[in-house]
Amino acid sequence: MKQTLTQSMAWLHTWGGLIVGWLLFVIFLTGSLAVFDQEIDNWMTPELPAHHLTDEQAAQRALTYLQTHKADAKQWGISLPYERSPQLQASTGGRRDGVSVTLDPDTGEVLPVRETVGGRFFFLFHFTLHMPRMIGIYLVGALAMGMLAALVSGIVIHKKFFKEFFTFRPAKGQRSWLDAHNASAVLLLPFHLMITYTGLAIFLVIYMPAAMDALFDGDREAFFKAQDKTPASVAVQRPATTEPAPLVALGPLLSQARAVMGPLGGISISNPGMSNAEIQIRPILGNRIALTKGQGMRFDGVSGEQLSGPTEMRPTVLTHRVISGLHFAQFGGYPMRWLYFICGLISSAMIASGLVLFTVKRRRKYASEGRVAQVLYRLVEALNVTVMAGLSLACISLLWGNRLLPLGMVDRPDAELNVFFGVWALSFVHALVRPRMQAWREQLGLAGLMCVSLPLLSVFTVNRPWALHSSMGVELTAMVLGALLLWACWKVSQPAVERVPRKKTAVMAEVN
Amino acid sequence: MLADFFAGLGFAYLGMLALCQGLDRHYKQVWGKAPSARLSRLLRVAGWVSLALSLWFCAQAWGWAMGPVGWFGLLSLSGFSLLMLLPYRPRLAVWLPMGFVPVWAVIATLL
Repeated sequence: MKQTLTQSMAWLHTWGGLIVGWLLFVIFLTGSLAVFDQEIDNWMTPELPAHHLTDEQAAQRALTYLQTHKADAKQWGISLPYERSPQLQASTGGRRDGVSVTLDPDTGEVLPVRETVGGRFFFLFHFTLHMPRMIGIYLVGALAMGMLAALVSGIVIHKKFFKEFFTFRPAKGQRSWLDAHNASAVLLLPFHLMITYTGLAIFLVIYMPAAMDALFDGDREAFFKAQDKTPASVAVQRPATTEPAPLVALGPLLSQARAVMGPLGGISISNPGMSNAEIQIRPILGNRIALTKGQGMRFDGVSGEQLSGPTEMRPTVLTHRVISGLHFAQFGGYPMRWLYFICGLISSAMIASGLVLFTVKRRRKYASEGRVAQVLYRLVEALNVTVMAGLSLACISLLWGNRLLPLGMVDRPDAELNVFFGVWALSFVHALVRPRMQAWREQLGLAGLMCVSLPLLSVFTVNRPWALHSSMGVELTAMVLGALLLWACWKVSQPAVERVPRKKTAVMAEVN
Repeated sequence: MLADFFAGLGFAYLGMLALCQGLDRHYKQVWGKAPSARLSRLLRVAGWVSLALSLWFCAQAWGWAMGPVGWFGLLSLSGFSLLMLLPYRPRLAVWLPMGFVPVWAVIATLL
C-alpha cells in the first residue's frame, strides 16, 4: 500500500510517540522539578536556619572550624551560602574522597542535618533514570532523539499550524484532547526544541565519542585539558622546600574575586598553613548563560597574589557551555527559573495529552479488537496511569518519606528511595487491578491530597517549618500543583462526553 | 528588574492577544461578529509592535544575552494562558491587560 508522507509521519508520530512518551514524561516532569532542586533540597533538610552572613563572615566561620578541627588536612573546601541556599559547608579532601559537614552559621559548629537524597535526586533521576553506569544516560539520549523525531513529525502532520494557533475547544472529548495536545506543542515549540536539543548536546562527547577517540586516543583528561585556552598550570616559582606560613586574609581576595566574577559560590584551599598554599575562588553558576563549572580565580595562599584569572573559553568550548547552560537554567534568577519550571510542566502535560489521546482514540474500538490487542490496550492504559498519576504520587511520597522516616535510621537516603520506587511500583499494580477510570481517579486524588496537605505535614513533623522562604515556596507550589491534580481527579470523575463524529471523513482528517 | 520582567510579560500577553484577535475566528468568538479588514490589520500590526516591546523589556530585565531566552518563554506562556482563558472567559481574556497596569505600577513603585 502506497502511503503519503503525511500518513507515514502520522504512523511514526503515533507509535514512536507512544513508545518514547512514557519515559519522556518521566524525564520532563522530574526535569521540571529539578529546576528547583536546591529549594527542594533546603525543604528536605529543615534543620537549616536562615541567616544573613556576608561571604566574608561565612568564610571566616568555616575557616575557623577547619583550622580548629582539620588543621592537618591537605585540602580544604568551603561552600558559601548564597541566594538559593543558606547552607554553609566545610569539607576536607578532594572532590572524590572528600568529607563535608554543614556548619551552624551562628556558632560555627557542626550542625546535624538529616540524611536525605535531597532535591538533587530529581536532577540525577532526570538524566540517569536511576540506572547503573551509563545505561540511563544512553537511554535518555535515545529518548531525546525520539522526542525530536516526534516534534518534527508532529509539525509535518499538523495541517492547521497557524490557523489553529490559538484554538482550544473544551468539553468535546477527543477533539479537546487533540486541541490541547496541538496547542501546547505549537505555542511552546521554541521551548520543546530548545530543551530537547540542548539536553542531547550536553553529553555530546558521550554520545559521539569518535572524534575524541581519534584525536586524543580516548584520553578524556587530555581532551578536557586541550579545551583550556591558557595552559592549565601557570608556572609559579616555588622554593623546593615548604615551610609553615600563615594563610593570607580571605576578605580582600573575596571582594576582588566578586568584582571580577559576580556572586561567589565556594573557596578551596590547598596546602593550608604552608608556604605553597593556594586559594581558588569559584563563582556561583548562573552569573552568565554559559556553565562556568570549575572555573574561578587562583591566588597565592600566603602573599594573596593573583595567579590566574577566570580562564577565557575557546569559542568552541564557549558554544558548548552556552548550549548546556540553556538547558541547566541557572541564569536569569528566579523569574527565569519559574519560566523554565512552568514551560517544563506544560511540556509534560503536552506529552501526557498525547499519551491519553492514543487511548481515547481507540477506546470506542476496544470491544471489536482481537484478544492480543485488548491485552495490549489494557497494558497501555495501565502504563498511562502509572506514568502520569503514579509518578506524581511517587514524587510527593518522596517528600512525605523525608518527613516521616525516623531521623536516626541507617541508610536513610536509600529508605527514601525505597518509598519513591515502592509507591511507583504499587501504583502500577493498582492500575492493573482497578478499572481504568477508578485507577486514574484514586491515584490523582491521593497525589493531590498529599500535595495540598504538605504544609500540615511540616507543621506536625518539623520545629520551624518555614524558617526559610524557599521552603514555604516549595509548599505553596506543591499546594497549587495538588489543586491541579485534584481538579484533574474531579474532571476524570465527570461522566465522559462521548460525541459521535459527524462524518467518517472528519475522523480521517483528525488522524494525527 | 521585576518591573521590567512584568512589563515584558504584559506586552507579550497583549501582543499575543492582538494577534489572536486579528484572526476572524477568534474575533467572532469574543465579539460575535467579524472584524473589518482595517481593524484586523491594525490588530496584527499592534500585536507585532507589542511583541517587539516585550522583547525590549525582557532585554532590560535580563540583558541582551539572556533576554531573548526569557522572551521566548514569556511568549509561549502568555500565548498558552490566552489559549486556556479564551474558550471559558473570552471577555476576561480581552480585558485582562487592563489589570496589568495597576500590578505593574505597584511593583515598579515598591521594588
